[in-house]
Amino acid sequence: MKMKYSGYKGKILRINLTTKKTSTMEITDEFARKYLGGNGFSARFIFDMVDPRIDAFDPTNVVSMMTGPFQGINIPTAGKYHMATKSPLTNGFFDSISGGHMGAEIKYAGYDGFLITGRSDKPVYIFVDDDNVEIRSAEKIWGRLTSETQEMIKEEIGDPKICVSAIGPAGENRVRYACVITEYRAAGRGGVGAVMGSKNLKAVAVRGSGTNEVADPEKFEEWMKWFNEEVKKVPALASGLPTYGTPVLVSSINNMFGAMGTRNHQTEFFEGWEGISGETLKKNYWDKDTACPACPIACSKVFSDKSGKWKGAISEGPEYETIYSLGSMCGISDAGAVIKADSLCDEYGLDTVSYGVVVAFMMECYQRRLISKKMTDGVEFKFGNDDAMVGFVEKTAKRIGFGDLMAEGTLRAARIIGGNSERFAIQVKGLEIPGHSARALRGMALGYATATRGGSHHDPRPTGEYAGASDRKAVEGKAAWVIGTMQMTTIGDSLVNCHFLERLLGFTLTQKYVDMINPVTGFGYTYNELVDVAERILDLERAFNVRTGIRRKDDTLPRRFLEEPIPEGPSKGMHTDEATLNRMLDEFYELKGWDKRTGIPTKEKLLRMGLEDVAVVLEKL
Amino acid sequence: MKMSVVLATEKKPLIRFDMKKCAFCKICEFSCAKFHYGKYGDAISRITIIRKSPLMFKCLICTRCEKRYCITACPTKALSYKNGNIVVDEKLCNSCGDCVKACPFQGIRLHPETKMPIICDLCNGDPSCVKACPKGALSLVWLPETRK
Repeated sequence: MKMKYSGYKGKILRINLTTKKTSTMEITDEFARKYLGGNGFSARFIFDMVDPRIDAFDPTNVVSMMTGPFQGINIPTAGKYHMATKSPLTNGFFDSISGGHMGAEIKYAGYDGFLITGRSDKPVYIFVDDDNVEIRSAEKIWGRLTSETQEMIKEEIGDPKICVSAIGPAGENRVRYACVITEYRAAGRGGVGAVMGSKNLKAVAVRGSGTNEVADPEKFEEWMKWFNEEVKKVPALASGLPTYGTPVLVSSINNMFGAMGTRNHQTEFFEGWEGISGETLKKNYWDKDTACPACPIACSKVFSDKSGKWKGAISEGPEYETIYSLGSMCGISDAGAVIKADSLCDEYGLDTVSYGVVVAFMMECYQRRLISKKMTDGVEFKFGNDDAMVGFVEKTAKRIGFGDLMAEGTLRAARIIGGNSERFAIQVKGLEIPGHSARALRGMALGYATATRGGSHHDPRPTGEYAGASDRKAVEGKAAWVIGTMQMTTIGDSLVNCHFLERLLGFTLTQKYVDMINPVTGFGYTYNELVDVAERILDLERAFNVRTGIRRKDDTLPRRFLEEPIPEGPSKGMHTDEATLNRMLDEFYELKGWDKRTGIPTKEKLLRMGLEDVAVVLEKL
Repeated sequence: MKMSVVLATEKKPLIRFDMKKCAFCKICEFSCAKFHYGKYGDAISRITIIRKSPLMFKCLICTRCEKRYCITACPTKALSYKNGNIVVDEKLCNSCGDCVKACPFQGIRLHPETKMPIICDLCNGDPSCVKACPKGALSLVWLPETRK
């Protein structure tokens, strides 16, 4: 069906791996306007299709692969695609976004996205070639690394130009934080790869011969011109990211803010920062810049160890978060080891943030004698032991020995290890926390506690607080700030656009986002309507999570962050205690229109968002 | 490449690709499709970048090669070489795709709708991919024509 609005194909492909049947489903203009794309579409489909009480590995769980209106158009920073599912880490709604050509290819094949359900009895991969959808045997590629898998599928189909998103051994073995890799980029967090593995689905390959257009080419050209001019005036986008990539953050976060989680957050200042800083990486390890499709910023870097202990290790990345998790969190200052582990995580299909935080957690357990060499297959799990950190990537991905426990993530591992170790399990709702301090940034404390995904830096954003747009120590007004950043990320994730544009378009949702969307789609949104779209999606996600049992009591932080102030450095003494968090939570729920006692969206709010059916479902709880 | 004595003053164009500079952003593909068809799609781009490993990129585009495999392969004589470009006579072309298969550089593809071969035509002498590349990885150079 031809849609009134541009940027959409009006069609979702549904694939059932149990019955091997495929079908298409139309989406309407109203639906697109109400839910925008990516995150919004997935939130709606998963709320409608997935029983929230099931185990994430149940065959009825859905893997949603979505695009927004921006894919397949040369909008800088929209070279991405979106995946969502009920997460095996958090048990809640989870969406994960990756760079790569996949989003554009899905559009060119004539779809806005895929919804994959069921479980195949044998390993398979899906090949979507415009209208022709095949479920092919993956028995020969099962067990392969992600780069091999992509190459083998391209070879089997005989076209090097197709796009493949694949899981590695970690996904096959249902490691709870297994990722999905496209080219060299990852839909990293939340274990979407594990859910794919539970469906015996090795990969999705797409080839599209179609095109995508914008609603108002003239206005769009104008916007592009504006963008290309303005982007040059933002130092982070014009020089910081293009030169160093995200590792540029290491020195400022560590030295200026004293907010870089070190040795499992026993402190937040890493004395070995210089070895893993952006400047060092650029000087000694850099090979070349790479970019997501259509992006002139090219923040991604290929780094390799040229002469150190890990000579020969090469990887696209590591990004800042990976340097934090595999580096400072494990007390490792050799960038070579981080590069080596980063490339292994990509190849075996592990989320680098969760994996690093798990290793750091185990190192602290070892330090406190909660686990011994007997348990860790004879490996000394001391902070700074890079051999252990690198060596356990494969063991975790294959669930060999101690790796089997590590594959469960920090929260589940802490419950098995016991000894009050949950207090220093650096996670929220099961998701390991990335490299933006919940103690040094007040907004991140409230943000992590309330985020749909749990410990994710892409629900709330830290950038505005680093930049000083919001006082990082303030409690007053923080709830409104956090809500604003969450609205921004939700719209970004629905457009499936990069959050790095925040420095240009606004740390919270602003009119500039409206000006970017309207020429492409022809929605003619007002600012208020766009805010409602964001709130609608967030409420829908919350409603799904509420049905899995999430309440106000779950909106909290690791005990370590609530009780132990940062012991040293520029942010010495900072943390958010329980009383302060509760004060901010009260304000947050009030502004959101969620019940203060339970954290459930009120009927009034849901009706205002046009979610009558959701209100009915929640009333029956 | 076999060396041969060049007598003619004629030169042939080449879109030169610098793998070291390329960032795999594919902006060249977007700009090519936009220039020729006013919309975006990689199946209607005459240039394609693929990535074989972290540092190994390939640029697939017509190289104006010496052998002109496509012209030889065409059963209906629809292809010819004029002023540095491979030109398609759409009246003669029967969309058999033999030229696509014959090109060792994967520089030809059939348009998904019209089924006509689409080949780099240098955008009237000012290639849009070269202009659009943010990393300066593409350049237009003129080489001596070695084929006579």
